Amino acid sequence: MQAQTDTLLRYRPWRGTFRGPLSASFAMARASVKLLLRRRLMWGLFALGLLVFLFFFYAQYLAVWIPNQLTSSDTLRVGVVPVKVNDLTKLLERLSLNGSVHTFGNFFWFQGYVLIIVLALAGSVLVGNDFFHGSLPFYLSKPIGRWHYVLGKCLAIGFFVNLMTTLPALFLWLQAGLLYDWKTYYVDNLDLLAGILGYGLVLTSVLSLLAVTTAILVRQTVPMVMIWMGVFVLLRMMSNWLVDGLNQPAEWKLLDLWNDLYLCGLWCLGAAPETIRPQPQPEFWQAWATIAGVCLACMLYLRKRIQAVDIVS
Amino acid sequence: MNFPESNMLLQPPSLEDVHHRHTPPPLAEPLLLFEHVSKWYGPVLAMNQVTLELNGGITGLVGANGAGKSTLLRMANGQLKPTLGRVRVRGIDAWHWHARRLVGYCPDADAFYEDHSGRKFVWTMARLCGFDRSESTWRTEAVLERVGMAERADRKLRGYSKGMRQRIKLAQALLHDPELLILDEPLSGIDPIGRQELLEVFRSLASQGKCLLISSHELEALEKLTNHVVIMARGRIAAVGTLQQIRDLLDNHPVSVRIEVGCPRELARLLLAMQEVIAVEVDRPARPGGESISLVVKAHHPKRFFERFGELVIEEQMDVHRLEPLDESAHAILGYLLGGSGKT
Amino acid sequence: MHNLIQLESITRTFGAFTALHDITLALPPGRVGLLGPNGAGKSTLLKILMGLIPPSSGSGRVLEESLGGDRDSQGNWRLRRLIGFMPETDALVPGLSGIEYVALAGELYGMPRREAQRRAHEVLSYLELEEARYRRVEEYSMGMKQRVKLAQALVHDPPVLLLDEPTSGLDPAGRDAMLRLVRTLGTDHGKSVLLSTHLLADVEAVCERVVILAGGRICHQGLVRDLCERRQDRFRLRVQGDTAGFREGLLANGVALLADEDGDWRVAVPSGWANLSFFQLATTNRVVIRSLVRDDETLEELFLRTVGV
Repeated sequence: MQAQTDTLLRYRPWRGTFRGPLSASFAMARASVKLLLRRRLMWGLFALGLLVFLFFFYAQYLAVWIPNQLTSSDTLRVGVVPVKVNDLTKLLERLSLNGSVHTFGNFFWFQGYVLIIVLALAGSVLVGNDFFHGSLPFYLSKPIGRWHYVLGKCLAIGFFVNLMTTLPALFLWLQAGLLYDWKTYYVDNLDLLAGILGYGLVLTSVLSLLAVTTAILVRQTVPMVMIWMGVFVLLRMMSNWLVDGLNQPAEWKLLDLWNDLYLCGLWCLGAAPETIRPQPQPEFWQAWATIAGVCLACMLYLRKRIQAVDIVS
Repeated sequence: MNFPESNMLLQPPSLEDVHHRHTPPPLAEPLLLFEHVSKWYGPVLAMNQVTLELNGGITGLVGANGAGKSTLLRMANGQLKPTLGRVRVRGIDAWHWHARRLVGYCPDADAFYEDHSGRKFVWTMARLCGFDRSESTWRTEAVLERVGMAERADRKLRGYSKGMRQRIKLAQALLHDPELLILDEPLSGIDPIGRQELLEVFRSLASQGKCLLISSHELEALEKLTNHVVIMARGRIAAVGTLQQIRDLLDNHPVSVRIEVGCPRELARLLLAMQEVIAVEVDRPARPGGESISLVVKAHHPKRFFERFGELVIEEQMDVHRLEPLDESAHAILGYLLGGSGKT
Repeated sequence: MHNLIQLESITRTFGAFTALHDITLALPPGRVGLLGPNGAGKSTLLKILMGLIPPSSGSGRVLEESLGGDRDSQGNWRLRRLIGFMPETDALVPGLSGIEYVALAGELYGMPRREAQRRAHEVLSYLELEEARYRRVEEYSMGMKQRVKLAQALVHDPPVLLLDEPTSGLDPAGRDAMLRLVRTLGTDHGKSVLLSTHLLADVEAVCERVVILAGGRICHQGLVRDLCERRQDRFRLRVQGDTAGFREGLLANGVALLADEDGDWRVAVPSGWANLSFFQLATTNRVVIRSLVRDDETLEELFLRTVGV
């Protein structure tokens, strides 16, 4: 081998083939996920999400175990508080924890509360910061399009949405199969599996778009949380009040975006409209149309906003 | 701030008139005086035993980031209290509000109400100074006129360039017609025309008898404005004086001077015979297309060297094209004082 | 060999406002300073050069890539790959470490992941951020922030560097270091540099050429040393001592005193003047000449002359 020397601190050229802009979106998503996982608050929210999942997990187990082990007149002692088995099974039935359509529908529904905060945080950290700290020129001066930027961010947010909803729902599905007759359950309920994935997909696309949009709109975490609370809690209260209190037509329920997503998800899962609680509910197609409208509005806004960003002052 | 004369005013007089109705502070006291001032932020020593006296004119404050410039400026304005030592403005403790009517401060941050117009912002600041409405109004007009923003002050602050923002900040610092003006990085990010205009404003303020203390990284611009600088490094004042004075004190760094003459090698021989000269280097043309080769001479005792050089020129009847000290700029001096490492 | 920048009557309008009027420009590869007061159209020109907005009319190219078309088109992606852009704003992604930030930039440019990471280490070492590379970017000092921004522009080894105010916020030592780096990248490593700045001294330190924009038009362009006027009869003088006598002596000999900037004099000498007379006058009046330099036009004066105050 020939002797050679090399200065460590010198500039070296680089030659190589470049990839397309789609891989840039994935790189952006990867970096964004990394960023969020470094937030301590994020882990706290994960813990909350996990709690909801564990509740469903054990409750589903209990729902099978209790009828097998106890008669309905027995009384359980939780610490010093006596609990009638009847009450317990009633609660479990209300959540319909039997590996059916509504098990998963309910799980998605309850996971929503934690998800809202996760999304608010993710939106402000991933997108709001870019606007706030002027990082946008960093992204947009690269050989990628505007939509690759949005896609990258949506992928990252979608990752978290799926991590908190679809993935645990899949676990519940697996668990349900093990609790009942797994040979028949998995084969009979393949459509449920597809439904879960469909629900996840709907949630991912709508929520990530919405998160990116609101993050561009308000940029900081606390206002983000307020907006999301407004959309999901206030609008729900209003729609419930309109429909139940004032006996307005069920279409007013469409105001409740989380409910719309729930309806679309149940459609994916193949639930019969009359089994959905609480009644009355709008038609499935109306929910779909609302969701599509929201997505379209988000896209239009994004298009306008990202175009207007000045990357050199 | 409260001005006792503010409620006596019926006619808007000029700023100067009002100024003379102050009970004049004892002029024997220096305008700004730091006495053995040290400042800690928690365990961090930001300023170490600083003593400084300013009496007028324009003074530049230079130093690396984190050298303590902003701390010094804020203490002079009474925003910070020294941990040890005293800061006095005309004999009044700078921390006391009485001192603040003598000092105007122009911060480096752009913290504005973006939706206000420039005029409205300055007016609001005037109200904050404690002037009543009518006085605020004429004072606002007067200072806007003074910084050359009177015609442009109705636009929203949001749309201002950095130069215009700087002037608005300067205007609000001038509202109470202070004797001492403290400006933190006023020149950063301004385009050359804006900078030129701002320098003009500074000069005219100085000629009206104000004392300006200006911190800046832009040494070229600062050098145009003033020769008198305060150099800070690591929380201490490394040097005060005119650049030439400071340079002459740096005896362990021989001056290097570029000389272009008709007969460079001849001169090199003569120079080497001089006691002060320690090295002569024959250099390529100063720039491509330069007519003659030049010499770079390193010498001790700059004052004596330049004297002897002058004599030599006359004796030998030499034609000197260029005599240029290479390290007398604020830039070079700062490099020497900070140890030349270039690291901050 | 392609020109670095070749523009043929580029015009850009925003509604009724014309930001660039009929810009025609041919610049060979090298280091170019782009100057102009606020609102001169500099940023519009930069955006066109990066393919972020198309020109309203006219054509042009940067190296081998032609300008125009939608910002998200293939051609403009290729164009942006040729350019390493260092923005003026902070543009950092808080929470990422220096190395992750630069590697992300590499991946955004389209480099394979591992290559981007390897190259990020290399570039950061070159820019002397070796020890700091695992720290988060928001903890960096101003000088480090600027260098990491340069690193992200350099990660894919582009032929063109586009630097927007690279020395803003730096102290003199940091500024020197940054300018040295940029200059070396141009002279030793063959990078073309387009430097947009308000600090004319930066342009003098780095660039061979300069383009001055004003009101959306090019009012001057060419080599820095050709543009600045040579003035044979003007000198800058600095004297030490009691200058009153010397001043009178000068005036008596027909020398005009143009300016006295705090001991720095600018004088115009009559024809047939020999510099020896300065020294003779100095000796007779017991002052010492500390500096005697021909007062050629500086870039700043050129700028103010052409753009006009």
